[in-house]
Amino acid sequence: MKPAVFDYSAPESIGEALDLLAEHGSGAKVLAGGQSLVPMLNFRLARPAHLIDVNGVGSLSYISANGSLRIGAMTRLTAVGESGAVAGAHPVIPAAVAEIGHRAIRNRGTIGGSVAHNDPAAELPAVLMALDAEVTARSTDGERVIGMQDLIEDRLFDTTLGDTELLTEIRIPAAAAGSTFGFREFARRHGDFALAGVAAVITTDGSTITHAALGAFGGTHATRLPTAEAALVGAETGDAAFAAAGAGAAADFPATSDVHGTAEYRSHLINVLTVRALNDASGQAGGGNG
Amino acid sequence: MTTTQENRWIGVSAPRREDAPLIRGRGRYIADIEPAGTVHMAILRSPYAHARINGIDTAAAEAMDGVHCVLTAADLEGIGDFPTIWRLPGQKECTTPAFAPGKARYVGEPVAAVVADSRYLAEDALDLLDVDYEILDHVVDVEAALADGAPVINEDMGDNTIIEYTFPGINALGVAGDVDGAFEEADEIISGRFKVGRYSGVALETRGHVAEWDDLRQTLTLHSGSQVASLLRTELAAALGIPETSVRILTPNIGGAFGNQWDRYPEDILVSLASMKLCRPVKWIEDRREALQATVHGREQLQEWQLAANSDGTVLGLKGRVLSDQGAHLHSVGIGPAWVTGAAAVNQYKIANYHCDVVGVATNKTPNSTFRGFGGPEAMFGIERMMDKTARRLGIDPAELRRRNMIQADEFPYFSPGGAVYDSGNYPAALEKALEAVEYDKVREEQQSLRDQGVYRGIGISSYIHVSGFGPSAILGILDYYTGGYEGSTVKIDPHGRATLYTGMIPMGQGTETTLAQVAADHLEIDIANVRVVWGDTDQTPYTGFGSAGSRSNVAAVAVIKAIEEIKAKAVRIGAGLLEADPDDVAYADGRISVKGAEEMRSLSLADVAQQAYWAHKLPEGDQPTLEATYVYDPANFTTACGTHVAVVDVDIDTGKIEWVKYVVVDDAGTIINPLLVEGQIHGALSNGLGGAMLEEFVYDEETGQLLSSTLMDYLVPSFTDLPDFEIHHLVTPSPHTEGGFKGMGEAGCFPAAGALANAVTDALSHLGVEADQTPVTPSRLWSLIDQAGG
Repeated sequence: MKPAVFDYSAPESIGEALDLLAEHGSGAKVLAGGQSLVPMLNFRLARPAHLIDVNGVGSLSYISANGSLRIGAMTRLTAVGESGAVAGAHPVIPAAVAEIGHRAIRNRGTIGGSVAHNDPAAELPAVLMALDAEVTARSTDGERVIGMQDLIEDRLFDTTLGDTELLTEIRIPAAAAGSTFGFREFARRHGDFALAGVAAVITTDGSTITHAALGAFGGTHATRLPTAEAALVGAETGDAAFAAAGAGAAADFPATSDVHGTAEYRSHLINVLTVRALNDASGQAGGGNG
Repeated sequence: MTTTQENRWIGVSAPRREDAPLIRGRGRYIADIEPAGTVHMAILRSPYAHARINGIDTAAAEAMDGVHCVLTAADLEGIGDFPTIWRLPGQKECTTPAFAPGKARYVGEPVAAVVADSRYLAEDALDLLDVDYEILDHVVDVEAALADGAPVINEDMGDNTIIEYTFPGINALGVAGDVDGAFEEADEIISGRFKVGRYSGVALETRGHVAEWDDLRQTLTLHSGSQVASLLRTELAAALGIPETSVRILTPNIGGAFGNQWDRYPEDILVSLASMKLCRPVKWIEDRREALQATVHGREQLQEWQLAANSDGTVLGLKGRVLSDQGAHLHSVGIGPAWVTGAAAVNQYKIANYHCDVVGVATNKTPNSTFRGFGGPEAMFGIERMMDKTARRLGIDPAELRRRNMIQADEFPYFSPGGAVYDSGNYPAALEKALEAVEYDKVREEQQSLRDQGVYRGIGISSYIHVSGFGPSAILGILDYYTGGYEGSTVKIDPHGRATLYTGMIPMGQGTETTLAQVAADHLEIDIANVRVVWGDTDQTPYTGFGSAGSRSNVAAVAVIKAIEEIKAKAVRIGAGLLEADPDDVAYADGRISVKGAEEMRSLSLADVAQQAYWAHKLPEGDQPTLEATYVYDPANFTTACGTHVAVVDVDIDTGKIEWVKYVVVDDAGTIINPLLVEGQIHGALSNGLGGAMLEEFVYDEETGQLLSSTLMDYLVPSFTDLPDFEIHHLVTPSPHTEGGFKGMGEAGCFPAAGALANAVTDALSHLGVEADQTPVTPSRLWSLIDQAGG
């Protein structure tokens, strides 16, 4: 389990990193926290000719809450999870971060790395989809802003980022006043990738749901749950609407079978977890495992 | 001197002397060993479950910079296979070759090896090996493997049936009784079909070796993590065709062995062969993917049982068929674990009429061989599930059903129809103690009220026997097991009166060094700090027969005691001369040699006598100089550890998730040498057992024959967050067969674990009729059962 040969660069600025990407293009891979890429290198599942290690690019690590929330791509998950600014703006984010792997993983793993790697079982792509987040991507040709939906839709272990682009920032619009959230996932052991999980953010005008955004993970790819959302918007909060949303979630969820569980089980789980997350959201409570 | 209880060490929770260096980073493992000039080996393994190897083009790899040699089956001329040492009557011949013999039979079977300057380069070179594989049909399921037209995995066997063995067997001691009569007579016949999942030790430290061939001295030094160095030395010398006197095995610290390290493996030969070819040290460290694919697996069985009972709960008979999924070929112990399943299945119960067919079946999977528990946990799972099914059918409480059928304390020695002789125990007392500890009646009451609130709580009882102390060599002979079961110990008292103990046992986490030091210090009645334990060097330590199956305390410790008896007798003879007393009037007590009745006046320390033994100026006639003794102890019988576990769980019927409420252990391992270490062993073995009950499983894809659980993200080892708090109680029924009354208990915790968990889950879902008959009981499997039951 040793990686194949690769060249290695450790740029210290975004400009240097972009130059290297421009030079090496599809032959290069960006190394962020390394929590997924390094095992893939060791398994020789990833064999980039060139590794661009951006851990030395200090300007990619920041959290700024000024209207919208902006998080630098190299911000460690522990920093994201412990940030008062993040918790104040979107408490669903620290709830989700707490379920990512173990502390040692969160200490190295980065928010940008998680999004760019886009593991279908990862929490953050689904959460950021539910929050209508955008990312900025830069290359030597300039900068563009991509909605999460457009970045990762229907893809796994891949995004619409170009070969010469570097994901530099996550931008999350301010939450609607009075919105609440629920976050639930089910893993076989604490810290494992979830078999299924859901982040639900809802807004009500008293008892009627005015906005609902649900992001799910653990299927073949991260996804919003449009049928579940449609079942909620305009409905009264409560068991009937939540049950309908759960059924909708199961219909929307791209479930798949593996050694940990069948697709049928996962579809059932997303239904159960959606109902539980919505109950959490309507009760203003936090999330949890299972 | 007056007699005191000072320096009595048996029964003391002495802290592990192994811990300080291990915790402070001064442990030394195989990976830490790298003699000057070491080169590194990597192994090409079959990516296919079943494929003929028509050729291997090694030219590109051999031409690569930094590559020293490439080995393939063509290099094995004159090299032997490792034998299967348990060869039951009717078992087809099968050995473990160093490379796949013309065809690969499982994903991970070694096909070629590369030795290069670094492991990185060696793995790069593996990419350059061009193997011409002809893919063959595969089979990864026992029933499919037995079906007509199934691909035959070992052509020389004719089919995939390796052996059909019937209990009571021709070479076992058991008596069948009248099985047909029992089933005719019975009020009820209860059936069960159980799938025991495939899992294994998955040690933190993977396997590894450093081989050093010295061509001038013609010696091979192998640094190895094997847990049975003596046997490895014997078999490796034979396989390599060199004198055993040329081979020295050195064992450093081991990061877990769990029986898996008992077997001999292809890599043992390959790393040695490469070193002999290159005349350089060659190192191979198994990586995690290799460890999951190529270290032996354990357990997997498909069991079918029928139990005959009267409506009063009396179990009249048991009959069964155990299909053991052996994987591609027999490994070191053959179908041994499945044989033990057949021998142990009647467990603690008086079941006079017994029949069991054990069938060893070849499949295109990693060989299934030695793993902690060795067939016992599989047997306990089947019988304990059957007892609960019977209780439910008869409307008798599961505790009461066990009570009515248990062998009583005054019925030992008990000759089981499986062929084992149970030495001692008090099964009903262990059951009652466990029920009391768990507050059984109260939990049963709460169960009712909780269910009304939608909380599904279940209680699972699981009793066990663990036949340990392998074993009496004569009985191993009767069982066609081609090694001895003894342990040797050499004890040397130095001229200052301190003891050095040489053991062939390999410490692999149990605290062997500490417990053997305790036994020696206790019997010499000296401070434990004055006992040193030497292990891990076949040039210094006695030959060990077995090195497994809880033989530490009850075999190795007895060898220590017996050697010390000889030393004490000699010390008394020498001391009597010095004290000018008749030896019959002199005794050894409190670490001193004294004239009886005059201990205050006429007494010598062990050091005084040892000094004289080394000066040898005036030794008693017939005594040799120095003060040392070697004793090789071959036990008269097995010992039988036993106990009862009770699990209490809640099941979330919406997700299939199992939440722990309580877990109570009552065990009886006879005399306990070190309670702290016993508790540690129970925690470890129980975690191992519950891991296989809930999480750990090697899953193969039917379509492709691939091992799907090939990383530790797919193969789930439990951590403490997945396990209950263990509440542990002890009973002590000393074994009448061993000096000291010790029984083996290093594995016992894993025996009843899966039965306890599955019985608790089944009990929690009794309103749905869900039966947890397959391990591991995963949330997905459990929910699927709940869903089918309409829950």
